[in-house]
Amino acid sequence: MQVTLFFLYKPFNFSAKPNRKKPLRNFILFVRRFFNLILFLALEIVCFVLIARTNMLQGNDVLSSANAVSGIIYKKREDVVYYFGLKRLNDSLISENIRLRSALAAYGSYDTFRDEVVRRPLEGNDSVKVVQYANYIYRQARVINNSVTSENNYITINRGSDDGIRRKMAVLSGTGVVGEVISVSSHYASILSVLNVKRKLSAKLKDGTMGSVMWEEGRPDVLILEDIPKEIKVFRGDSVFTTSYSFFPANLLIGTVERRRINKKNNIQILYLKSATNFRNLQYVYVVENTMLDERTRLEDSTTKDK
Amino acid sequence: MSDLLKNFFRFCIVILIQVLILNKITLRWWSQPTGFPVFIPYIYPLFILLLPFETPVWALLLTGFALGLTMDVFMNTAGMHACATVLIAYLRTNVLNALLPKNLSEYPNQSPGVKNIGWMPFLVYSSFLIVLHHAVFFSIELWSFSNFGYLLLKILASSITSLLFVIAYLLLFTRQTALRS
Repeated sequence: MQVTLFFLYKPFNFSAKPNRKKPLRNFILFVRRFFNLILFLALEIVCFVLIARTNMLQGNDVLSSANAVSGIIYKKREDVVYYFGLKRLNDSLISENIRLRSALAAYGSYDTFRDEVVRRPLEGNDSVKVVQYANYIYRQARVINNSVTSENNYITINRGSDDGIRRKMAVLSGTGVVGEVISVSSHYASILSVLNVKRKLSAKLKDGTMGSVMWEEGRPDVLILEDIPKEIKVFRGDSVFTTSYSFFPANLLIGTVERRRINKKNNIQILYLKSATNFRNLQYVYVVENTMLDERTRLEDSTTKDK
Repeated sequence: MSDLLKNFFRFCIVILIQVLILNKITLRWWSQPTGFPVFIPYIYPLFILLLPFETPVWALLLTGFALGLTMDVFMNTAGMHACATVLIAYLRTNVLNALLPKNLSEYPNQSPGVKNIGWMPFLVYSSFLIVLHHAVFFSIELWSFSNFGYLLLKILASSITSLLFVIAYLLLFTRQTALRS
């Protein structure tokens, strides 16, 4: 068998390609000749793998602005630029204080005892009790890097896992929602802001109609609220709030309606919102941890798995 | 100063200018809600454009990859900048060959700056590669051609502004031979 194969193979050896017998050497010659092209293609493939991996939102921790080197550089820059915004920051803090004080005063100014008609003493084993479904911890953080121009905008803050910040926490500003913590290092965290094309945010109008808020890229002040039926009357200036469906605390302002447009094809109106947070000059944010969210997501995941 | 050291410094300077200054300029040329896309001028491809003539292609590719990846780390765009930069690093030699009258090996110890090849050839060379870089980068970033006019507008406006900044960089940071004599 070996011999016949050898004879079959032999005539080719006399042809113009004497190297046919040495595939390894041919291969090396080929690589040397097209080395640049091969290197180019290899690097491009590496790039596309990186892009694909990040777009699946697996939390690419090395290549994000939460890592140590870029975090330090951004922090140095922020230390310099910080002073230029102090006046504006002060104004926003004062207005937030006023809002909080009025909300607090509203709690203290009602008394429900007067209207109570029936009094029935509760039994010791009565089933009436307070149900707690969320428990929030607020932590403040300073924004050290921020972008509004790309398709998915990220914000870097100066708090990390050492301060108890973990992934999937909600981030708020003094006036509205900001985003979600995506990746964390020990001293920095990077946040996917609401200005992104990947995620939608569940939202409701003041009468309770649910919809979802997304962002149309290119305009950092404009959000879009979809899925609201045409019959629901919405006026300019109406507020849009977060729901308790998402990981955000409920009833936070997302934005106010600026313009409404009705899609003729499926009779659904599209509302253009002016976002409550000014993403251009964010300086302080609050990172909100819901200590009971873990239990909730575990339950929800287990039910979807059973189906 | 040796060539290697000089280019290393230029790498740092270009990255720092891009990250600390230009990324914070969000340019928007006219009115508020409807209309023009927001964009950032990118000048970091200039580093690839100014590498010396006799740099081998593999070295160009590797520095391009490193440059792009550094930008990606700062801008959270894993791979997008690197992809566009590697492409222009690969095409650089061909463009230069097509553009210049002499063979590339006849320019010893020079880099394709304004001083060596003149304003007009340099502008054609840099604008071609920068427009290419921006086209690739914004297409990858947007990842759809459904909004083609928007994409085109963004590419065009951004490349023009980037070119202006590239020219400003050259006027500021390269020594003008005419002034020195």
